[in-house]
Parts: sequence; C-alpha cells; structure tokens
Amino acid sequence: MSKSITYIKRHKKGFIYFHWINAVTFFLLFLTAMPLYTNKFLFLYEAFGAETLQTMHHILGVIFILNPIVALLITARSGIFTLIREVLRFDKDDVKFLVKFPAELIGREPKGMPKQGFYNGGERMNILLQALLWLGFVVSGLTLWLGAGHISPTIRTWMIPLHSLCADLGFAAAIGHIYLAIGVNPDSFQGMRDGTVKESYAKHHHAKWVDSLEKEGKLETVERIVK
Amino acid sequence: MAQEMAMLHDIARCSACRACMVACKQWHDLPADMSTPFEGQYQSHATLTPTTWTLIRMTEHTDDKGKFNWDFVKTQCMHCGDPACAKGCPEEAIDKLASGAVVINEEKCVGCGYCVANCPFDVPKINPQTHKSTKCDLCFDRIEEGITPSCAKTCTADALQFAPYEEIEEIARQRVAELKAEGHPDANVYNPQGVGGVHMIYVLPEKPMVYGFNPQSKTPVSIDIWKDVVRPLGKLAGAGALVGVLGLAAVKGLTGKKKQDDDQNGKGEH
Repeated sequence: MSKSITYIKRHKKGFIYFHWINAVTFFLLFLTAMPLYTNKFLFLYEAFGAETLQTMHHILGVIFILNPIVALLITARSGIFTLIREVLRFDKDDVKFLVKFPAELIGREPKGMPKQGFYNGGERMNILLQALLWLGFVVSGLTLWLGAGHISPTIRTWMIPLHSLCADLGFAAAIGHIYLAIGVNPDSFQGMRDGTVKESYAKHHHAKWVDSLEKEGKLETVERIVK
Repeated sequence: MAQEMAMLHDIARCSACRACMVACKQWHDLPADMSTPFEGQYQSHATLTPTTWTLIRMTEHTDDKGKFNWDFVKTQCMHCGDPACAKGCPEEAIDKLASGAVVINEEKCVGCGYCVANCPFDVPKINPQTHKSTKCDLCFDRIEEGITPSCAKTCTADALQFAPYEEIEEIARQRVAELKAEGHPDANVYNPQGVGGVHMIYVLPEKPMVYGFNPQSKTPVSIDIWKDVVRPLGKLAGAGALVGVLGLAAVKGLTGKKKQDDDQNGKGEH
C-alpha cells in the first residue's frame, strides 16, 4: 500500500552544503590532530606521515574557517540578523522545552511540550555553542599556526589548551548531535539530505514555525508517494 | 654519568671568538648555515636555526657612567629543571636526563612544534627538511662518557665552564663577587627559578634585561592545564558522549516505544 506524504521545505541547498562541508572538515580535522592528543592514534602518523597529516590539518583548517564565512555572506546574507536574534533569544518556553526534552532521548514523548520555532531551545544552544567553538578554534588555531613572532609567547602557549578544549566540547557535542539526528529524530535528518521535512514532523516539533509560515502564506510543500 | 652537571657562560670573559659555535657544528655534524645574509653585521646568525644550536648573540648598551659596552651572549638551550618543551611534547619525545641535559629523541619527534610554542626562551626550531625539532642537547652523549661538551671544551677564554652543578654555582658566586669588586654593582648569576632553575647558567656584569634575559622567565602554567586537565577532560567527554549515546540508544531500544511521527497527521496536540 502506498500513500502520499506531505513534506515542507525547511533548508536551502546552500545551507545543506555548508552543514556537510563543516561536518566533514570537522571530523577530518579531529582525526588529523588525534595523534597529538592520544598515543592510541599514533598509528595514523605512522601510516600517513606526521608532516602529511599536519599539512592536511592546515588545509582543512582553511576550509573550516572559510566555509561559514562564505555561507553566511552568500546564502544567508539576508538572514544573518534574524539568525543572531533567534539564537540569542531565550524564553520560558525554551526552559520548559529543555526540562521536558531529555525524555525524548530514550524515545519517550514528553507531554505538554511548548510549541517551538524554526529552531528549538536545544538547537539554538547548539548553534551558539558551535559558533563559539568556531571562534575558539579559529583564534587559537591561527595564533598557533601563524602567530610566532607576532603574538606574545605567553598568549600563544594558552592557545594549546584552548584549541584542545574546543575539540573536547566539539566532539562531545557532535556525538550528541548525530545521535539526535539519526537515533531520536530521523525525520530531521531528511532536512539535511534534501532540505524537506515531513509536515507531521514539522508540526510536531516546530509548530510555531509552521504557524508563522502559514500565516505569511510562505509554506512550500512537496507531495511524495511512499510505499 | 648520573651526576647533575651545569655549564656556565661568563659574559665578562667571552671574546666572541665563536669557536664554541664551530665545535658544536663539528660534534653534531651540522652543516654550514647561510640563512642570515651578510649585511655588515658582526653577529653571524640572526637567531638559532635548525642547524645552528648555539649562537654568540651580540648586544650593545651604554651604562650609567656613559661607557659603551659590546656584549657577547652565548645563546642556546637553557636545559631547564622544569622544561616546558618536555612537558608540552605530546609524544614524550623530550627527556630530561639525570645530568640535567634536556634532549630531543628524533625517533619519537613528530615535528608538531608544541615545544617551539612552549619554550620560554624561544630555543627549539623545526627543521623543515627532516620535520623534526632541533636544539642543543648539551652533548649528553659526551657527558655520559665523562667528557666535557664540545663548546665548553674548546673555549680558550674560560668563558665557558662545565662541571658538577654545585661546583658551577660556586664558581658563579665567586665570579659575581669579583665583578662587584671590579665596579659592577649589579653583577648577578642568571639562573631563573621560574623554570625550575637552568643547567646553562650565566654570570652577568649588569642586570639580566641588559642582555635580553628575562629574570621572570617561567614554565607556562598553560601546559599543565593542557596535559593534566584539558586532555583527560577531552578523553572523558569524548568517551562519555559515546558511552552515553550508546546507553540512551539501548534504553530506547529496550523500552521499545517507537515514535509515531510517521503518521500523516502527526500529533495535533503538540
């Protein structure tokens, strides 16, 4: 039996590219640096050569720096301020959401969840965290890479723990993020593949956003036949 | 030799013959280094380089009596008692030996440059050809055989001396007393305690700053934070996130409640 399912357009193509370039470079950056973090990953240096991986880390770093700059300037130029306002907003609905949300982690459905906007309270915290980590990575990374002779050694030595701390938090956050996308809400994962999400999912998880789209008449839907 | 040793550079005695630089190159088989172009200066190299592990740095100053001074400072690894380079090395490729020598193990070095960033004296240099960190090793191999390091061995002016640590301290004290008697009231021994003391000790006729030495040099705290806090925390956070997620997935699977988002209509009440 096949049925028709309604999908809502959620993400622009450019944003999807931005997300995946960021994700892939992050993990490759993480891997190319791991041998400096734990000897368990020393085999990577032995297999590819320390210098090769260190050079790759620099090249990937440049991509990691440019990617959000290009993405923000080109695809999201009109929405930068909306995004910043959204991310910095935090109200009592967000608190309620964060209190009730953990039950979803083990597949429960918390009752009385407040309506969420385009991003829910947790997603907005993740965006803010990622933005801060990006800044931390870039400042500490560039200082370590190019700072010799320009920036005081005292500051430079602090960049090593800062860079590592960003990696600590970034990796833990990434694991949580992947679990939420694949394990908890696979429907949201669709949004990062073709930019659409099921209408039912959107109404369930981002009702405020769907309401506002409907009110403004901006709701774009796609019908798909699934078996 | 298990005894703790030290080297002394007596700036008041150095004549800048630079035989020490040559002896160092000979013993370590280091090639001539033409990285500093000749522009009329007496100082041979601008800084230490991957193939120049010791350098006679020349400084000029006019003292308070209006007397012009041209000083020669032997620059090299200080062989700290609490070496930041060794602490900061992710591969544990830098060892502090019983003699006091701080030595890079080329086999283990991966050329990451953390020692370069952490050294309070800006000493280690990465050799771009071999991609290994390089610096003075205090001729640890000679010391083990009971022989004086090549630079000190060759010094004709007795500006460089090498002996057991206490002996060097004593010589340094005597020399400072002599210099004070000769009209250098600021004469001092440069042996910064912020880095756990050094095994390359200097006798200076004037205050350390005059020669570009920082009396406050210290092993950065940041490297302890990195090694003892951030790195273990990262392993904990990474492993914790993985284990946590697997645990959550297991609980989710066992309790077996599938979400019903697949419905056409979803759950209207939310």
